[in-house]
Amino acid sequence: MPEKMLQVALIGQPNVGKSSLFSRLTGVGVISSNYSGTTVEFEESVIKRNGVNVRVHDLPGTYSISGNSADEDVAIRMLSDPDNDAVVLVADATNLESSLVLCFEVMELGLPVILALNKFDASKKRFDTDVDALSNYLGIPVIPVSAKTSEGVDNLADAICAGKATVSAFQVKYSNYIERSITVLIKLLGETRFSKRGKAVKLLEGTQDFIDGVPDDVQEKAEIIRNSLKELLGESPNIEIGRDRYAHSDILIKTVQKKTQRPQTRAEKISDLTIAPITGVPILAAIFAIMFLSIIYLGEYLSGAVEWTYDVCIGDFIDNLAGSLGGNLELILIGINGSIRAILSLLIAYILVFYLILGVLEDSGYLPRAVVLLDSLMHKFGLHGGAFIPMMVGIGCNVPAILATRSIHSRRERLIVISMIVMAVPCSAQMAIIMGVTGKYAGVEYALAILVMLLVLIGITGLVLNKFLKSEPSNLAMELPDLVMPQAKNVLYKTWERIKDFFIIAFPMLVVGSVVVEILLAYNALNIIVDPLSFITVGMLGLPAVVIIAFLVGILRKEMSVALLVILAAPLTLDQFMTPEQFVVFGVVMAVFMPCLATFTVMGREIGWKDTAIIAFVSMAVAILIGSLFNMIFIAF
Amino acid sequence: MTTRNREDYLISILRLTEGQSAIKTTELSTFMNISPASVTEMVKILSNEGLVEYEKYKGVKLTESGLHVARQVRKKHHVMEHFLMDILNLDHDAAHEEACKMEHAISDESAVKMCKMFGIPVDDDCKSCKNPCDACLGKTNDSSKVLVSLTPGEHGMISHLKSDDPDVVKKLISLGFVPGREVTMDSKISDKGPRVIGLGNSTVALDFGMASSIFVDVSS
Repeated sequence: MPEKMLQVALIGQPNVGKSSLFSRLTGVGVISSNYSGTTVEFEESVIKRNGVNVRVHDLPGTYSISGNSADEDVAIRMLSDPDNDAVVLVADATNLESSLVLCFEVMELGLPVILALNKFDASKKRFDTDVDALSNYLGIPVIPVSAKTSEGVDNLADAICAGKATVSAFQVKYSNYIERSITVLIKLLGETRFSKRGKAVKLLEGTQDFIDGVPDDVQEKAEIIRNSLKELLGESPNIEIGRDRYAHSDILIKTVQKKTQRPQTRAEKISDLTIAPITGVPILAAIFAIMFLSIIYLGEYLSGAVEWTYDVCIGDFIDNLAGSLGGNLELILIGINGSIRAILSLLIAYILVFYLILGVLEDSGYLPRAVVLLDSLMHKFGLHGGAFIPMMVGIGCNVPAILATRSIHSRRERLIVISMIVMAVPCSAQMAIIMGVTGKYAGVEYALAILVMLLVLIGITGLVLNKFLKSEPSNLAMELPDLVMPQAKNVLYKTWERIKDFFIIAFPMLVVGSVVVEILLAYNALNIIVDPLSFITVGMLGLPAVVIIAFLVGILRKEMSVALLVILAAPLTLDQFMTPEQFVVFGVVMAVFMPCLATFTVMGREIGWKDTAIIAFVSMAVAILIGSLFNMIFIAF
Repeated sequence: MTTRNREDYLISILRLTEGQSAIKTTELSTFMNISPASVTEMVKILSNEGLVEYEKYKGVKLTESGLHVARQVRKKHHVMEHFLMDILNLDHDAAHEEACKMEHAISDESAVKMCKMFGIPVDDDCKSCKNPCDACLGKTNDSSKVLVSLTPGEHGMISHLKSDDPDVVKKLISLGFVPGREVTMDSKISDKGPRVIGLGNSTVALDFGMASSIFVDVSS
């Protein structure tokens, strides 16, 4: 007989460190950052202790369980699942007040709970917390942990596996009107998975996910009570309920947590500077400047270093081997060797540098501050500042960027952001082409010009779409995490997680693809595509006709087009193959050109195939248009 | 027309319209269980006194001063009801019945004192209007300011939330912006730009619209 598996859900407010704690508990790597909403899908894994297996779910952060967002709906669905045995409520010990309110909500629903006080190490600097008193008061196990140092994680795992989660008798006592309404509703409710009291409160709050399943007549009565309460109180009962919860939390914290006096820390002083209007904008500009300069110069340096290493280890050897073979085989080998060299040196360098910087920015907690500063600017595009984070992520790869737009709740805004990202935010492969190909063969000033052109294109895309999809941007409300020094371990781990696909999937694909194209070329099999489309490549863009192959293969993966360019050029080297002007046009087209296959698929799933097809088509048209424009300017001057 | 009678009309209109829209005299007569003819008669008197606007076919609507009186009465009603239920432990129906009479008898001053007796901020827990009215704040409601108007460094206690969009209110509550909590204005990016607000031990950025839905008592 298979043993029964316990199932628990990790629930907590955004950025309390659920994902880090999940990684520590289960050993499964999850990407975590220092801002709200990093987790948009839930992860699950199994922990084993003393023969007990427990399936753990890491849920997206939720401020409450009132179905205010898609994330909260996910949480409610998970809690409603009869297979879910217990809840581990992850609280931020440095900001206990609001975490406790969420804890009250979960306890009220009659679910077995363990409270994990995360960031306990950090909280010790500011507070003296009486964990036992808190546990006694709440009537549930309270376990201090630190996902950063792993302290207490073993205790938590033991408690979870030993089934220590407890249904508490603790109740938030609401004001009289609310309590009376609860009493009335409880009489009407049948047995469900949730406690009657919890369910009654949810009905008073008007939380749709809980209302759904309740018999119609009870729903009607609840609606009447809710409306009369509204009239009686002159405000939504939700305000009343929220106030009572916070009042309880406040009283509780005053008894179990003593504040220790301390001066403002350096991180707090810096934090103040980053959000003050006078200093904030220059700091933001400086960070951007440093980021792009690092990508350009550090990337260039690394690129040279990788190329040298490759040649010393294997590249020169293959070239020599090819020379000794001669004939068609020589051509093929040199082409492939060149393409591998180009891929390794260009892509690894530029991707690596960007992801390291992104990791540092994410973990420091700076990104939400940039969001605040950019909010007014984003409003011009009908977005709020929060759209900045997916765009930033998009400089790495468009796929996670499109997933990250899930934190934007309006479909209209998602469409705008996704269009902006796909059209004009260069992913790391595009960045490598702009910097490493155009920058190298036409000059850094042209690479910069392309970046400026993209920036303008982002603006135009936003303005145009905002005009067509006119409506007020939704509201920005974002918690600002404390600024902290990023930990090298997490930054390196994330960077590896993000670039490993490149080695595991992309690199083999590139090598195979290169070989295939090389062989097709050798037997002139590609002319059926090259010739009919030459009116675009040669006519409009002024490029060699075969470059169309690089463009088309770029749809599979952007970085492959670089490899292809090397192969198509063979036996010429790249600088003999095209003029500097042609490299600029090539860079422009690749930077705007339609999304790669992976992006296309994700977009289709997230926003539907019709809009995806439109965006892809428009990006292709715009790419060719701007490319032709550059070509005409070069011809004219 | 007695004071009591007048106040009954005003509070009934307020209950039916929330001071927003107009109500037909026939509806008012059903609600108050008084003949339509007398209602029309009374409404004309109230209209002459400037407490309501009355237009045939459209109906009756509270004027600014009518709204003020009505809210004050309703506030008194709820203060009394609160007292009867929470202190004397009457049930809701009995408390409501009795409060309907007491609301006309109690003075503004005593109502404020009763609010204070409950040990809750008067502007915060009278459980009646969205807008705290003069009667409950003592003299003026100067100390309640909209959060966006605070200058960096200024702090206060949330007195109430007000927005046309119920989702905004829900969102604010879930973020922890509930009446009674302390807030500090940390930074203001630009006049119409977002605000960075200290709330308990956390820091939250809200855009102008959301920060305009929060009202803060800065007197303490």
